[in-house]
Amino acid sequence: MEILAVFTPLLGFLLAFLFGKQMGDRGAQFVTCAGMSVAAFVSVVLFFDVVFDSDPRTIQLATWMTAGDFSVNWALRVDQLAAVMICVVNIVSACVHFYSIGYMAHDSCRARFMSYLSLFTFAMLMLVTSDNLLQLFFGWEGVGVASYLLIGFWNHKHSANAAAVKAFIVNRMGDFGLALGVMSAFVIFGSVQFDAMFEKAPELAEVNFMFMGHSVHALTLICLLLFIGACGKSAQLGLHTWLPDAMEGPTPVSALIHAATMVTAGVFLVARMSPVFEYAPFALEVVTVVGALTAFVAATIGLTQFDIKRVIAYSTMSQLGYMFFALGVSAYGAAIFHLMTHAFFKALLFLGAGSVIHAMSDEQDMRNMGGIWKLIPTTYVLMWIGSLALAGIPFFAGYYSKDIILESAFAAHSGAGEFAYWMGIAAALMTAFYSWRLIFMTFHGAPRADEHVMAHVHESPPVMISSLIILATGAIFAGALFYEPFVAGDTGGHEGLQIISHEIEIEREVEAPVVEEEHEENIWNRFGFWGESLKVLPEHDTLAAAHHVPEWVKLLPTFMGVLGIFLAWVLYIKRAGVATRIAAVAGPLHRLFFHKWYFDELYETLFVRNAWRIGRAFSLKGDKQIIDGYGPDGIAAWSQRVASGIGRLQTGCLYHYAFAMVAGLFGIVTWFFLRAGF
Amino acid sequence: MASEQFLADYLPILVFLVIAAGLSCLMIVASLIVGKQRPDKEKLSAYECGFDAFDDARSKFDVRFYLVSILFIIFDLEIAFLFPWAVALKEIGAFGFWSMMAFLGVLTVGFIYEWKKGALEWE
Amino acid sequence: MMPVFSWASLSPALPELFLVMLGMVMVLAGLSQSEGAARSLCRVAIGGFALALMMLLGVNWDSAPVMNGMFVMDHFAGFMKLLILLGLMAAVALSVRYLEQEEIDRFEYPILIVFAGLGMMLMVSAHNLLAMYVGLELQSLSLYVLAAFRRNHSKSSEAGMKYFVLGALASGMLLFGASLVYGYTGALGFDAISHALAGGKAGAGLVIGLVFLLVGLAFKVSAVPFHMWTPDVYEGAPTSVTALFAIVPKIAAMGLLMRLLTEPFGSIMPEWQQVVWVLSLASMAVGAFAGLVQNNIKRLLAYSSIGNMGYALVGVAAGTASGMGAVILYLAIYMIMAAGTFGIVLSMRRGGRAYEDIEDLSGLSRTNPLMAWTLAFLMFSMSGIPPLAGFFGKLFIFQAAIASQFYVLAVLGVLCSVVAAYYYLRVIKVMFFDDPLDALDSDLGFSLRAVVFLSIAFVLFFIFSPDTLVETSRNAAAALFAG
Repeated sequence: MEILAVFTPLLGFLLAFLFGKQMGDRGAQFVTCAGMSVAAFVSVVLFFDVVFDSDPRTIQLATWMTAGDFSVNWALRVDQLAAVMICVVNIVSACVHFYSIGYMAHDSCRARFMSYLSLFTFAMLMLVTSDNLLQLFFGWEGVGVASYLLIGFWNHKHSANAAAVKAFIVNRMGDFGLALGVMSAFVIFGSVQFDAMFEKAPELAEVNFMFMGHSVHALTLICLLLFIGACGKSAQLGLHTWLPDAMEGPTPVSALIHAATMVTAGVFLVARMSPVFEYAPFALEVVTVVGALTAFVAATIGLTQFDIKRVIAYSTMSQLGYMFFALGVSAYGAAIFHLMTHAFFKALLFLGAGSVIHAMSDEQDMRNMGGIWKLIPTTYVLMWIGSLALAGIPFFAGYYSKDIILESAFAAHSGAGEFAYWMGIAAALMTAFYSWRLIFMTFHGAPRADEHVMAHVHESPPVMISSLIILATGAIFAGALFYEPFVAGDTGGHEGLQIISHEIEIEREVEAPVVEEEHEENIWNRFGFWGESLKVLPEHDTLAAAHHVPEWVKLLPTFMGVLGIFLAWVLYIKRAGVATRIAAVAGPLHRLFFHKWYFDELYETLFVRNAWRIGRAFSLKGDKQIIDGYGPDGIAAWSQRVASGIGRLQTGCLYHYAFAMVAGLFGIVTWFFLRAGF
Repeated sequence: MASEQFLADYLPILVFLVIAAGLSCLMIVASLIVGKQRPDKEKLSAYECGFDAFDDARSKFDVRFYLVSILFIIFDLEIAFLFPWAVALKEIGAFGFWSMMAFLGVLTVGFIYEWKKGALEWE
Repeated sequence: MMPVFSWASLSPALPELFLVMLGMVMVLAGLSQSEGAARSLCRVAIGGFALALMMLLGVNWDSAPVMNGMFVMDHFAGFMKLLILLGLMAAVALSVRYLEQEEIDRFEYPILIVFAGLGMMLMVSAHNLLAMYVGLELQSLSLYVLAAFRRNHSKSSEAGMKYFVLGALASGMLLFGASLVYGYTGALGFDAISHALAGGKAGAGLVIGLVFLLVGLAFKVSAVPFHMWTPDVYEGAPTSVTALFAIVPKIAAMGLLMRLLTEPFGSIMPEWQQVVWVLSLASMAVGAFAGLVQNNIKRLLAYSSIGNMGYALVGVAAGTASGMGAVILYLAIYMIMAAGTFGIVLSMRRGGRAYEDIEDLSGLSRTNPLMAWTLAFLMFSMSGIPPLAGFFGKLFIFQAAIASQFYVLAVLGVLCSVVAAYYYLRVIKVMFFDDPLDALDSDLGFSLRAVVFLSIAFVLFFIFSPDTLVETSRNAAAALFAG
């Protein structure tokens, strides 16, 4: 079953990629969608199997490599955390696959597109089911490649190629950190197997590690290196610049990779490594601060953007920031909870935006939209649902997950937690504001597109809408439904676990309804749900504390959400035009936000230009002049010279030939005389 | 001792050389003394197969001369082989006899070929 | 000394005797027939070679030297003769149609090939310097005439003339070398020379004699710097004759060289190894580099054959049984590849005219894909790309060189083969990537098709059962070291 869930996408990819020409676009779409449907269905079954039976397992597939002490397996580790991830990945991916049938209907390379999507899904599944850091790294790079291929899918567009390259290179930075993290983990733990590492982590909590003459706290070092990797993939502040550009890819890609799944790999990584992070408090603080800053900065940028997909991209980044500071305050359950709800509503928003773009004949600039809500009512309603969930309005999915994150941050009672809380509150206000700015600019007001485009505005085909509806269902109900199992529960971790394992034994003996109820009770809190897949030290248990924060802490995010919506309504509906004046008044600040805090420019001058200069020097001087000059080209030219030299000797004159023979003869004879001294 | 014997074997050759030298000298001297000397240009030029000895070597002349001379050489050599064969026929027996017959057979085939090809006709 | 004679002692030479008779009969038959004599005599020649082949298989391959030690029929000679006869059959088969197309279908052509073949067979069976010389001259004289066979064509006459003059020079050197050897050892028979040399160090005169002998033979195998005739003669001679040159005489000359070096002069191996080393390297290098700038495919193949003889000489330089075995295998493979390649060169005709430039193959893959692929595989094989036959030839050669610790030679040889790969691949590039010209004439004739087919089949499928040929060539080489 696990194999079915993970390898059907691979099968879909192989079939569609290798035989795409033979079976045609229809065939490729069918194969990949069928594969994903199977995978999604199986993963739901698997989810129930693993979680309700509390039956985490690891399936060994094969030995990958063995070198000395170093031994790595291919394995599928399906515990509760992985099961959640598999479910999210497969369901969203299946939706996106179906959506793509409609969205890419006019593209000429549909088979290739579908195959890449399946490849991505497979890599992502390898990542989340890995039982060691190396296989995780394999999946990590696999999703990177798939992301690169998909961002640059429209390879006739220069900007798409540039964005793909940028995404790849920026991700390399993070990957480098991750690779170093994996290596140092091997140095310190002597293994990259999760089980072995987690077992040893408590013992190694005090170990220091000599690095370049400095004594470094070993686990902190590992965690920070891994976190750099996570930053790259999850677009945290500093390594985030690729994410907005990645919107050059087709919209389904943005929804699947750059909103729902791949970018959350960093969150997954930290959650997966929670038994190690727990012993590295400083690393956790860094995670908190970086996450909080990302949430805030991304939100400010989101306020000013006009490209509909970029607004959502910055919102994604901002939400990832939330997840990270949740991880930072040890509220891993909350982070994964938000990851899941976010996957639904953000995929919904992206696909909704895709639907709008589709309707508007590939227009992405919100300044050229407006007044189309009557023309595409379904999309409009779905966008509302997504935005409500995003803004954290009560009873939508985002409300539960975002609130618990903010409460946990507050409950951490640390400087970093406090900082994160206020940053989060500010970001929540802005999130609500820009979400409705998006809705108002896109759907309301006077149409700003030309008549030609307006005449073509049409609702998307059912195959797209139905995917949206599935996601919308998730966006509405996922929060309420999974609040209890993901984050609820008061007591300390370890005791709870023991109780649960006891209960499960009972449950297995008799399947009576009474016991079922008891069992339900236990599953429906976070200890029962997560089992051993997440680890929180009792003194870090902010989730427990989060249930006891003051009332205003709980209410403030919701209030901010409503306030944000109201402000947006005032500025864009009630008194349209005020927004530009505000922007003019707060000129420098607006420019700062609009230019994304000048990160791209900074990197351009600091790194890109210098790298170009060095690269150019190496290429022209080092490679062309020295290596090529004396290597291949030099030898080839030399061969030509030798050849024409020998050619010139071939004069065609008989006496020259005879002379050569006699000369050769005498040469040999002379040599014999000289050598032997006759 | 052995070498003296070896040299003694060559004495007849020495005698032969002396006689030959003496005889040719005698003939030249006798003709000088006895004959009438009436030289002209043609008589004084060196005789070299009908060609001027001191002329440009790249002059045209008929390739058939070569053909004839080569054909002549082949049969000349045949005779040269036949002499010793005839002398030693007694000792080499039937094998020797048939060997020469084979050789002659080959030559005959060659002769038929050149005849048929018209190599022996001047025009 | 009274020669001891018995008719039975002639039996090891049965194929040769048969060819003598055949040649005679063909002369007479050719004279009596007027029209179409060449075509029918070519058929007769092929049939005769086939018969000779059968006789060859019938005779005892382990006989002691006969005819007063002049003639030996051992495994080495047997296998070489087998190759020679096969090569001759291929060469005649390739010629039949070409002679008519070029209007040089005179009946002397097959007869000359028969006599040349006879000479070659005598060469590999020679066990005496005189017998060797007679065989060599019989072969050479026939080939001189063949080179100039298109006598109303200036290039052909030039080729014949150059070949003859330089060949005469080489023969003179060879003969001089033989006389020096006779002078210093007092013997002409191979056994006697070997006996005279056994143990003692070779004197200067003898070594000089050996050098002269080597030079004479180096000319025949066109080893550098005695190769100068090769490109001009290959280019000038009628293509069918070039094919013959490329396919067969090299085998005979190389066979003679191997026998000469190992049997009479085996005891002074270090002396000649150095010479062969130099010849080999020079041949490989010149064959590789000079080929780069050739445009005429016949000249290209001339340099290719120079290079290939260089590789064969690597095995000779190794001086071991495995080295010689590798040479024999190499020659066999090269002969077959050359036969196929020349089959295609011979079919480069448009509207009844022969074309000889590499550019004339432009776009052949589109006008005649089958021929293009065939030539492509032959070229790949020539450049030694696995899994084709040519690769194994080179493999065994270099293996032997390394086993004899000729590391430098082996490394340089491999480098040369890299350089040479360029011009083989260039032919492929021209065929597959250049703009197509008009289609080539398609009436190739059965015999040519058959030769090319057999050749390419061998090249492609050699890998599936290389053992037979490898073993046979090993046995053949072992015979050289038996005495």
